[in-house]
Amino acid sequence: MDSLFTTYLCENTTDGIFTAIYDAWAAKIPNEQLKLCIEDGYCYELFTDIIYVQTDLLKAVKVARSIVNKISKEAYDMVFLATLSKEADKIDVIYRFLKLGFHYGRAVVDMQADKTVCRLFDIQRGVANEAHSFREFVRFHDSEQGILIAKIRPKSQPLPLIMPHFSDRFPEEHFVILDEVHRMGGFHERRKQWFLSPLSEEAMDRIWYSGESAEYERMWKTFFRTIAIKERENYRCQRTLCALRYRDYMLEFDSA
Amino acid sequence: MEQLPLERKLEILSDAAKYDVACTSSGVDRKGKEGSMGNAAACGICHSFAADGRCISLLKILYTNECIYDCKYCLNRRSNDTVRTSFTPEEVSELTMQFYRRNYIEGLFLSSGVRHNPTETMEQIYIALRLLREQNHFNGYIHVKAIPGAAPEIVAAVGLLADRMSTNLELPTAEGLRTLAPNKTRETILKPMRQIQQGIAQSKRGEHLRISGLTQNDSQITTKWGFAIPDPTHTAVTALTDAAGYSLRNGHNALSSMTSDNSSTSLVTTDSRNVASLSPDNSDTVPLPIAGDHIAGNKPTLPAVPNRTEHQLFVPAGQSTQMIVGATPEDDYQVLAVAEALYQRFDLKRVFYSAYIALNNDSLLPALGTKPPLLREHRLYQADWLLRFYGFRANELLTPERPNFNVFLDPKCEWALRHLEHFPVEINSAPYPLLLRIPGVGVKSAKRIVRARKSMKLDFDGLKRIGVVLKRAHYFITCNGKMMYPTKIDEDYITRNLIDLDHKKNWEIAYGMSYRQLSLFDDKDGISLLPISS
Repeated sequence: MDSLFTTYLCENTTDGIFTAIYDAWAAKIPNEQLKLCIEDGYCYELFTDIIYVQTDLLKAVKVARSIVNKISKEAYDMVFLATLSKEADKIDVIYRFLKLGFHYGRAVVDMQADKTVCRLFDIQRGVANEAHSFREFVRFHDSEQGILIAKIRPKSQPLPLIMPHFSDRFPEEHFVILDEVHRMGGFHERRKQWFLSPLSEEAMDRIWYSGESAEYERMWKTFFRTIAIKERENYRCQRTLCALRYRDYMLEFDSA
Repeated sequence: MEQLPLERKLEILSDAAKYDVACTSSGVDRKGKEGSMGNAAACGICHSFAADGRCISLLKILYTNECIYDCKYCLNRRSNDTVRTSFTPEEVSELTMQFYRRNYIEGLFLSSGVRHNPTETMEQIYIALRLLREQNHFNGYIHVKAIPGAAPEIVAAVGLLADRMSTNLELPTAEGLRTLAPNKTRETILKPMRQIQQGIAQSKRGEHLRISGLTQNDSQITTKWGFAIPDPTHTAVTALTDAAGYSLRNGHNALSSMTSDNSSTSLVTTDSRNVASLSPDNSDTVPLPIAGDHIAGNKPTLPAVPNRTEHQLFVPAGQSTQMIVGATPEDDYQVLAVAEALYQRFDLKRVFYSAYIALNNDSLLPALGTKPPLLREHRLYQADWLLRFYGFRANELLTPERPNFNVFLDPKCEWALRHLEHFPVEINSAPYPLLLRIPGVGVKSAKRIVRARKSMKLDFDGLKRIGVVLKRAHYFITCNGKMMYPTKIDEDYITRNLIDLDHKKNWEIAYGMSYRQLSLFDDKDGISLLPISS
């Protein structure tokens, strides 16, 4: 017996999402009976057929290629950012956006007054903004071996967006950025191509190193304190521009 | 002078530098390269936010807080009794490198008091920058102050190593400067500004830098600003050349030891009386000193740099300036007119406004404890945005008869209310420059409107999604011929309503409860994209 809905569940990666979109598209299920969801945190519903999507790199590449060719590079960039988002509806929005895109072509990105396009726009902007915040707020510790190590606690998955930035900036450094929420590490070896790798909790703990008040860390805290103008003190504004959730690993906000 | 530990120096010299407003790291895009450290992003990157809510992007320090000048408003003035200290070039370089690789900062902002004379001070800055760029291969952002009165050659040499330079105008009028900064004149401030402007233009055209052209074009400006043209003869001194070896020898003037034959110079000169005019006997004001003790001794020797083949850019991120607001009696119209003239005639990237903080006790200054005029500063920044991005002219916003901004309304709303004949504007057909003039519509949303209406007729829901602030904009627009609510286009009525909207916000700014400096005109994206110093 056919259920009322068909739901595609996929893993929370760009490849997983693109594979789900490929499979759902091929199945030609009418829009109003189709749902696409990320498997983590999915809440099972009645009257629904569940299809578990097997992530398939080839299918994912096909989807990526047709977005670039049939819509535009700009649309692809937006969709790619959206796949990294924390928003639960991201995959559904991406699917609907692509349907519009394959119909309207490159003009779809201009249709910002449309509900779906606007939602996609918001989702990808959230990801881009968070990635920008981490370009600002990541703090590296210098380990004894001269490796720079940083840890972040993001909502979205910013590593694919910030690793190119830091690799370009520090070509001569060994560095690691650990995303403790998604258990992912970004690694850069001096003068080599960076890469991502999933990490177990134990592996993460082994890598993580925070030097105890090294000389330059102390001086940075001093600088941070003296550079503020007392007559203009404004903690509310400080909080608006640097939200509390970013401060866990920003040493200048350590009390003491 | 006693030698202080580095941490103590940093404390003193960052504390002394903090009143300078600009901390921007914007204006230049530069990829990283193998063998060096750093890159630069045109949008600028902040790295932290201090307790006053201002962005920390650069390591903002003075090279020294010793100063021969006695500017009334300045904490480092000669007559103040404070601990004086100086960095060494090595210390500046090392701090920058170590902070940068930990991602604390985007680069260096180096300013300075005037220790012996302006040229000597800029030489120290130059040495620090060469250490950073050539020995440590620092490829990140550098912002340097041009010190008024320094020899044009050293300004030119520094400009080839820096991304941005700035010369502080200090006060909006020459009058104010005469009263409060007796050792500075408009002339000495505008001279390096003009030189840097010309250098940037030459560099953009791919030419070598010429220092000599200073005087001719200046004549118009000088008459406009009301001072005489400086004597050009003393400027023809050889530049520092890269071909010269870099070694600092005890007892030698650092500048002259870096100067050598000028056949290969990229900075140019026309005169062979080169080094002579920088030597102690005939420098024009204060004699050049023997290099200070901390330069002497076991300093590293930089390798001789071969002639550079790649085209070196001069101040690629442009120049900026700042004015202190509220220390002297100028009105907003004067301040804004000066800013406009600077944008138009000196091609400045930014003019910064700094609400005066009463720190020094002086009969010529506002009394100690006077609140810094934060709301006024905020209005000036709003108006500054209108000049640069919204196509407004200063005399549209203010006039000699109405010389100050409204406390209750932002400058754009104020303008719109006085020009209701332009409204309401039809969103689906108005040209872009007119969209920009609607209160509640920012640059981003105006651009989005233009893009979006190509494919569909816009309604109020669509506008909201695009980011237009309807609670402000709805008085001034129609969508498909209809207004959002039945509203009178009546000045008193709209004014009352808009003031209601802004009342709390304005109070908060004036009393330092909030900080809206750059989230201007409610454009939804304003906050994240325009931190104070972008």
